[in-house]
Order: sequence, then structure tokens, then C-alpha cells
Amino acid sequence: MFESKNEVVLKTDVLIIGGGSAGTMAALAARKKGLEVILVDKANINRSGCGAAGNDHFMAVLESGPDWDTPEAFLAWYKRLTQGLVDSKVVEKVFTSRIKGLVEYLENIGIQMRIDTKNNDFIRTKSFAQPGEYFINFDGRSLKPIVSKEAEEAGVKCVRQVYITDLIKQEERVIGAVGFNIRNGDSYIFEAPAVILATGNVSRMYRNPSGLPFNAWHSPYNNGSAQAMAYKAGADLKNMEFVNYTLTPKNFSASALNAIVGMGGYIVNSLGERYVLKYHEQGEQGPRWTMPWGTYWELKEGRGPCYFDVRHLSDEAIEHLLTHLLPVDKNTFMDYCNQKGLDLKKDLLEIQICEGQLPAFVGSVTGIHIDENCLTTVPGLYAAGGCAVSICNLAGSMAVGGAAGESAADEILRDRIEVKLDQEKIAELKARAFEPLKRANELEESRFEGKLHQIMADYVGIGRTKLGLETGLEELKKLNDLTSILGATDGHVLMRVHEAQDMLLLAELITKGALTREESRFGLSHYRGDYPDTNPEWHVSLHQSLKDGVPMMKKVAAYK
Amino acid sequence: MENPVKIDLGLCNQCGLCEFNCPGDLIYSDEAGNPYLKYPEECWFCGACRMDCPKNCIEIVFPMEVL
Repeated sequence: MFESKNEVVLKTDVLIIGGGSAGTMAALAARKKGLEVILVDKANINRSGCGAAGNDHFMAVLESGPDWDTPEAFLAWYKRLTQGLVDSKVVEKVFTSRIKGLVEYLENIGIQMRIDTKNNDFIRTKSFAQPGEYFINFDGRSLKPIVSKEAEEAGVKCVRQVYITDLIKQEERVIGAVGFNIRNGDSYIFEAPAVILATGNVSRMYRNPSGLPFNAWHSPYNNGSAQAMAYKAGADLKNMEFVNYTLTPKNFSASALNAIVGMGGYIVNSLGERYVLKYHEQGEQGPRWTMPWGTYWELKEGRGPCYFDVRHLSDEAIEHLLTHLLPVDKNTFMDYCNQKGLDLKKDLLEIQICEGQLPAFVGSVTGIHIDENCLTTVPGLYAAGGCAVSICNLAGSMAVGGAAGESAADEILRDRIEVKLDQEKIAELKARAFEPLKRANELEESRFEGKLHQIMADYVGIGRTKLGLETGLEELKKLNDLTSILGATDGHVLMRVHEAQDMLLLAELITKGALTREESRFGLSHYRGDYPDTNPEWHVSLHQSLKDGVPMMKKVAAYK
Repeated sequence: MENPVKIDLGLCNQCGLCEFNCPGDLIYSDEAGNPYLKYPEECWFCGACRMDCPKNCIEIVFPMEVL
């Protein structure tokens, strides 16, 4: 029988929750400052997170000469892309000032950043309305295991297969976390004067077009526990209403869009028209949101199916796409093509609008609010990567992770912070972690999640209205009542039950934000049929937080 | 759902790396030490299980819902 067994208490200077690319870089950075560091993940860190099986694009400013390849030009582009809802000062501190050094570091540890082996040079492409070629096409298949090994060899203590359920607070400060080992049932108590959250975005909250909830664009194991824990600890969450969609191959969880449009691929409808040009003057070179937006209307108005079309590309370009990009980003991409009987040199690749996700992509404005030091609005609590608002594709997450690790370490080195655990509080949090094992096990976790996907897609998905969002809120409340019969019998399901509860909490915040924001912005991300225009009065961020148990919402002006 | 992670147990050396690497905690070892996909419906089809496999004995076969 799975039950709470041994108690493991671990003390450290900095605790990082989430062993993906951001968390691993945060751990390494804090360790390099000479501190004791623990990196905890529900999986095995070696291949955890969105970059588990590889990545093909690394966004960087290299200052190689042209005007666009400068921090100034990058920041100006990023501000346009995020419509001023992300603080450029943060992006400068955590990304543009660090990224060149990060590329050098990755080359030094053996990551192949220069895939033009003949000239020993970078191959760079541009997409998403960039002023120049910011995306280094690189071989990231071994990136995660190599960086994880670096962290471990530097002395980072990796704690694997431990799911964190709650943060521990001492008055206003976060001083640790509580969790359990998903395989053996040991409970874990971490004591740390600084905690960094890095568990990524949320990718399993909406109905998946293939009908398989884990067949998601980004890692389906990203369930938003960082955002949920931060909210419960009192931190500000920002712009939760913006849910992101992208274009993926029909029924397949691969992020091919960047590779396809970066190489000059087209997006066409059943009539063969390059329809994105109707919705944005830059067509396939426009911001990401314009492509699902245009596809939505093409399908709605009866011009589907829609396709990626790369047949016009040169042999050399297709070769690059099929060798260095698509299967490097998604290891199983060519298996998909082969098993589907597709030859991209001759055939169109049918596409779909993917499931809604709380975003973790370049230009997203949604997640935990952080300042220039990656500090949340709660003392002792930092955040980095896909869960935080700054810059969060792979390169962004790694750069921000490093910045967060350094900032947290600097605070601990500067201020001596006494931490004392309140045993009564710990007992309470431990009981909460294992509580689903005691519940009546009458509702399967997958059905509970299925209902969540249904509610979110039908009422809080694409095309929102006041009445629909209010209905969504009511349905979410009803679903919340069912948690009393949502039980677990083993550690794996216990983890999934906690994940589902976190997603439910975030679903409610998305719905409340969407109801409050009476305008439309960023295409499908927040399209209110009853307020279809972007309203300059709503050119603000919406912050949600929990103060003394009361949900708060406030508007925060866009950055100048 | 049918199992998308086909492991050739004739080739497998039971090193446990696929179980270790799976980001979703989906692969377990049976009593004889052979790896198997315990939760096929939770697979991301990412290929992390096969990438570092020293025996190259894992194949990903997509279910009909994906194709």
C-alpha cells in the first residue's frame, strides 16, 4: 500500500523547484556562488522539462555587427511583441546582458551551437516579426543531460522523483517546501531561506485536438504547480487571461512552426492561398499569434483544412529542415511523417490549432510577476523560466534561470536569514500532501481532468463572452466540489491528483481574468466576442493575488 | 490505448535508463527487471526514452489518434 513512510528533512541555502532548463541553470548559478543548493524535480532532471528530448532554436543577440544584432534592437522588438506588458528592464537584466556569455558557455561544455561545420559558424534564422536572425539553429538533443551533469558535478544536490505540494512560509517569507517521493512515499521537508520556482508553463488544461490530453505542444507534465504555489503564498500572478495557441502538425504534439516559417515555409488553406497575409502584413513572418488567429477564421469560414507548405524550398533548405530542425526539436518528428506516409518534399503537412496553454514562449506576458532580480512579490520566493513573466523560450529560460540563481544566492550571502520550521504547520502541510490517499476513490483523475478540459475549451477557450465565462466559473466551482471523491492509491496518481488541483485553481484565475478584461488582445489568446476590439484603456496588465485568503485583482499600467 | 513505446526485450540489457529518463514517470520495471510503459495514455511521444538507449531497442509507434 502506498502511504506516508519515512520523513526526509533537508536543509540548504537555495532550493530550486523544477529541474528543467531554467531550474538547472538556476541551481548551477547559485552553486557557483559557493552555496549549498538543492534541485528537486518530480521526474529525473536528466531529461526533465520542455527541452527533455531536444531543441533546435536558441534565441540570442550576438552583437555580430548589424544594427539588429544589438541589445537595443532586441529590446525594442521585444517591447513591440509584448505590447509593453513585459518590463524591458527585466529583460535587459535577465536576458540581453547575459545571452552572449551563455552561448559561449554552452559551446565550452560541448553543445553544438555552430552547425555550419564547414565554416565553423552559426546558422541563424528569423521568425515572429524579429528585425533580424535571432534564432541560432543548433543541435540541442543532448543539451539537457549535459547541463544536468554540469550541475551535479558542480555540487548541486539533485533530489529526484519528489513532487512538491506546498511552500512553507515563516511570517511573510517563504522558507522551504513540502513534498513526497512519488515512488516510495517518503515525505520531504526542505528548509531553505531562498526558494526558486521553475516548473514551467501549463499545458494540460484545455481539450487536446487529438483527444489525447498528454499529446501537447509543450511538456504535458508541466501543470502550473509553481504558479499555484506562488499564488497561495501571496505572490502576484500577471495577465492569466492570455491563453496561448500555436499551429502544430495535425494531431501531433510538435512545435514545428518556428522551424517551418523560419526557413521560409508557407501556410496555405484548401484553396492554396497564403492566407496569413490577409490577417497580418508580414504574413508568415508576423508575430506568432497572427497565425492561429488567421487559421481559426479560415477554418470557421470553410476554407480548411490548412497546411504547412515547404515544397517550394530549395533542396538544401528542405534538407536542413528535415535533418537539423524538425527531428532535433521533436525526436519523433520523422517517425510521425513516416508512419503517416508524408514526404514533405512533395506533400503538404496538415496543421491544427493546438490545445490552449498558459504560455511559455517568446513574447508571452503571462505568469508569476518578477522584478529585475527574479524576485516575486513575496520575500524569499524567486521564479524563472516558463512560469514567470520575462522571456521564456529555451534560451530565455536558461538565461533567466541563471539570473535567478545568482540573485537568490546574492541575497543569502548578503543577509543572514534565520529559518525555523513551525512543526505544527509542517504537520498540516504533510497531511495535505497525502490527503487524497484517504479520500473516497470514486472519481478517476483522468475523468476529473477531462471535465476540466471540457469546461475550459467550451467556456474559457477561443471566443469568450461574459455569459460563457460566468458559466465556466460556475462549472469550475462544481468540479471543485468533486475533489472530495478524487482519491489516489499510488504515488503516481497522487501526483496527478495534485497536478489536477493546481490546474483547477489556475483555471479559475484565467476565467476571472478573462471576465474582467473587457477587450480583445493578442488574437485568440483573449478574444471576447462581446468586446472584439483592442481597447487602449485596457493597455494594462492584470495582477491577481491572494491577500489574507481574499482574492485580489488590480490593473498595472503598461511599461513606458 | 495501445502501447506507443515498443521495447525489444530481446535486445534490452535492463540498464534502466529509459525508466530514469522518462519525464512523465511512465516507464516502470517488472519483477524480472524488464522495462514497460505503465501509463501509455500519458505519453508525450517525446522520444526521451529511446534517445540515450545503449541498445537502440525502443521504437515509437503512434496510436491512430495521432496519425
